[in-house]
Amino acid sequence: MTRTILGLMLAILGLAALAWMPTQLGAYGVGLLLGMTGYVALASAWALFSGPTRYVSLATVAFFGIGAYTVAVLSETLPYWAVLLVAAVIGLAVALIVGLATLRLAGVYFVIFTFGLAELIRQLVTWYEVNVTGTLGRYIFLPITAEQIYWQLLAVAAGTIAIGWLISRSRLGLALKVIGDDETVAGHTGINIAGVKLALFAVSATIITLVGAIQAPRWTYVEPAIVFNPTISFLTLIMALLGGANRLWGPALGAIPLFLLFEWLSANFPNHYSIILGLLFIAIVFVVPRGVLAGIEDGWARLKRRGEAA
Amino acid sequence: MTSLLDIQNLRKQFGGLTAVNDVSFSIAEGETVALLGPNGSGKTTVLNMISGALAPTSGVIALSGEHIAGLAPNRIAHKGVARTFQLVRILPSLSVAENVIAALAFRPNHLWGRAAEERAEELLAEVGLGGRGGEHANDLTYIDQKRMELARALAAEPRLLLLDEWLSGLNPTELRTGIDLITALGQRGMTVLLVEHIMEAVRALCSRTVVMNVGTKIADGPTADVLADPAVISAYLGEGHA
Ligand SMILES: Nc1ncnc2c1ncn2[C@@H]1O[C@H](COP(=O)(O)OP(=O)(O)OP(=O)(O)O)[C@@H](O)[C@H]1O
Ligand SMILES: [Mg+2]
Repeated sequence: MTRTILGLMLAILGLAALAWMPTQLGAYGVGLLLGMTGYVALASAWALFSGPTRYVSLATVAFFGIGAYTVAVLSETLPYWAVLLVAAVIGLAVALIVGLATLRLAGVYFVIFTFGLAELIRQLVTWYEVNVTGTLGRYIFLPITAEQIYWQLLAVAAGTIAIGWLISRSRLGLALKVIGDDETVAGHTGINIAGVKLALFAVSATIITLVGAIQAPRWTYVEPAIVFNPTISFLTLIMALLGGANRLWGPALGAIPLFLLFEWLSANFPNHYSIILGLLFIAIVFVVPRGVLAGIEDGWARLKRRGEAA
Repeated sequence: MTSLLDIQNLRKQFGGLTAVNDVSFSIAEGETVALLGPNGSGKTTVLNMISGALAPTSGVIALSGEHIAGLAPNRIAHKGVARTFQLVRILPSLSVAENVIAALAFRPNHLWGRAAEERAEELLAEVGLGGRGGEHANDLTYIDQKRMELARALAAEPRLLLLDEWLSGLNPTELRTGIDLITALGQRGMTVLLVEHIMEAVRALCSRTVVMNVGTKIADGPTADVLADPAVISAYLGEGHA
């Protein structure tokens, strides 16, 4: 109990420090911080669903783009808070429909479907914009500063990690562990497997949609190729995998160094960026398949056992 | 006596193979019944269809008159069916206590928190694993994993308990304890359907026995009579081809 309170206080202190940081940084620094926090939120939200279920989703950018596009379309007709709400509701609705249709798919079929889903939505939006509205891009003029975007993303990231923490202590968290260990047993102990997966997928996708919506004003100019860029899905995935998708802080820990690395790579090696991304992805999957945090824990346990044996 | 489980014309087809062929039998409330048969005769497949692990190709499965054939396992579990598996299925990343809480937390009148921990400890003590809830399920010996699996099945407070060769692999002392444990369950009024190859256990536990051979029911009656039936003996000795 006291440990929980202590942890909570530390978390609040840390959050306050993070919120204060933009005042000490220039525009470039705030931009970095913003992008990093966005990926911490994305990777943590991705891991809420994909960590325990081991369903590798490449639909991240589908929801991210839905969020961004909702803002692009509605920012001049609705107040900002209402736009965010509408975006979240659309994300939730799409997640429920997609989840009901696809969570039966196992393994690689799910991966391919989610990748296809993101492309499909991008094509649909492009088609609609070209043929119905007669434009390809849209401008977002919202009086929102980079600091304000950062603070919103920070709140979403903190909220996502808090949700992850609450889930891990709840019956839902146990259900997820049981499903991860053995779905047959899970069903036979009375767990509604499809319901649990759908709930997680919906929560995760709604948060991802919100992140897209919050980040949209950052671009000023939005078009499908920008906000539905599949690299966003891949980055999110390898960040979460690097840190460990099954650890509360894993995705955040993976997101921070990888975000900085990608920033540096895209500035210095713009032409080889995708190749390096692919190689890194392969390296992570082979070297730390369960993430760095789990790897450290395993190493620690091995050391301790050796210590006990000696 | 009213019947708790009613199976009529149950069939399961795997492609061209008919694993269960037109099997019918009932189990009365409180009865402990054995389901016997040579390897591959379809016993596990019958249990799988009752628990919902497999959907029947056709036929009726009724629990207290309510049709359950083809329902998802979690729905059937909530109607009061629990089981153990022929090849023990543990939750390897969880502790022994959590393996049992997994059932306590998702039954209809679920337990959580302290209440669940206490009940798990009681159930573990009942199967001979008292005080070992904190261990890793993965570190248990095969026999202890089987005990834990039984505790998990009992945690659901089932009306019907399905045991698939739960006693196999036990040494003579463990077998004695295992038989006593199931006897005690029967005395508490639990209805049990058990698949077993150990005749000593079947004789000790089951007043009634159903025998299958190549997917078909070939005998059903008082255990002593069934085990003396020439058709059953020849099926077991593999002389049934004549
Ligand atoms: N999921 C499945 N897919 C295909 N065939 C199966 C499946 N499950 C069982 N079978 C086949 O159905 C037949 C009956 O198998 P089952 O496991 O029910 O037998 P059993 O009586 O439990 O045998 P044992 O005593 O060896 O456990 C076997 O021929 C088996 O190979
Ligand atoms: Mg079997």
